[in-house]
Amino acid sequence: MKIEIFGSGCPRCKQTEKIMKKAVEELGSDAEVDKVTDMMAIMEKGIVSTPAVAIDGKIVLSGKIPSIDEAKRLIKG
Amino acid sequence: MEKDLKKEVTKFGLLATGFLVFYFLPFGSQYVQDAIISGFTMLGSYAREHVLLCLVPAFFIAGTINVFIRKDAILKLLGPDARKIISYPIAAVSGGILAVCSCTILPLFGGIYKRGAGLGPAVAFLFSGPAINVAAIFLTGSAIGWEIALVRIVGTSTSAILIGLTMHSIFREKGSGGFATQESDDQISWPEAIGFLALQMTFLIVGGLAIDPVVKASILVVSAGAVFVMAVRFKGELRNQWLSETWDFAKKILPYLFFGVFAAGIISSALPQSFVESLLGGNRLSSTLFASVFGAFMYFATLTEVPIVQSLMSLGMGKGPALALFMAGNSLSLPSMIVITRLLGKKRAFTYFGLVVVFSTFWGFIYGNLF
Repeated sequence: MKIEIFGSGCPRCKQTEKIMKKAVEELGSDAEVDKVTDMMAIMEKGIVSTPAVAIDGKIVLSGKIPSIDEAKRLIKG
Repeated sequence: MEKDLKKEVTKFGLLATGFLVFYFLPFGSQYVQDAIISGFTMLGSYAREHVLLCLVPAFFIAGTINVFIRKDAILKLLGPDARKIISYPIAAVSGGILAVCSCTILPLFGGIYKRGAGLGPAVAFLFSGPAINVAAIFLTGSAIGWEIALVRIVGTSTSAILIGLTMHSIFREKGSGGFATQESDDQISWPEAIGFLALQMTFLIVGGLAIDPVVKASILVVSAGAVFVMAVRFKGELRNQWLSETWDFAKKILPYLFFGVFAAGIISSALPQSFVESLLGGNRLSSTLFASVFGAFMYFATLTEVPIVQSLMSLGMGKGPALALFMAGNSLSLPSMIVITRLLGKKRAFTYFGLVVVFSTFWGFIYGNLF
């Protein structure tokens, strides 16, 4: 599984990354967490509000910081 | 490694600058002492007059908008199939709801440009987004005056539409593809969200009115109480989100604002009145143009434009140049110019910068001379 965090490097995006990583760890999942900070790449995806999270290429969250429970739900699908 | 080194170099630079300033600044001189006292005096007046009834409720409102107001409905109006008559005005005013913080402007701008209603509405949004927000308007009203706050909204949103239309007629570009919006379902209902927002708006608006203190205090207590009761009844996760978003805004904005207020206080004592008057005084075309260009290059952190303009006005800046400074100052700065040029290409970006200066000057000049 591949998790991507989209965001220009703002504090909210960093926090989202931290929460997603923590959720992956707590679930013992083998997902890899990547960060996409390039504005062009974010735009190409059609993401208009950051932070956004995509799992295996599909955008599952945008415009807010997930709670740890929400993050786990998203990862479990 | 490289990045870490850069960070350390920056820190060293800051420390060294601080050291040099304190080493060489003649704190014994009357001029420097007056300037510092003036900085603190202005901080004092902001703390007393604008924090509790204006900024704090504005942060709660920003948090509410961010968490409870669904943005996909508004974004639909800015999609690739949106009609002009809808997309331009919506783009010009939706900054207040879609982008409560300047760091969210650029992704939205890019999205509207590439995947949505196209270059024109995207540019309209880019221009007005940073200025049309609850905190900026109310702080302008309470610190400087409600007339200029109102003119600021009207001038910014109409120029946004005109700048967008001009850009569209020159470059004719439409976006396609639509947006990827995904919001979680554990939301409260529309009426509940609107009511919650309206209660907080009531608090903010009544807090700024000059009415009978007993009436005012009772309305404030009742609306604050109702907000509290509603918040207690929300699901825990949602309430925490609301509080943490609000706290996030306060944390991000207040330190810069306090610094800006202090700097504005220093300016109002350290800059000679004749100097400000010669550059920005009256409502001449030259001073309005100067204000637009200065505003376009200068970086103002969110809300700091208000104390700065307030100080400059106390030193003799005319209200036309003040409006021009508000309009150009919010939407452009040297750093944002660089990003915009990268996103749009040189030709489009420079046309946009030119239009911003032209329209800010135009509105400033009209306002300064007709009202």
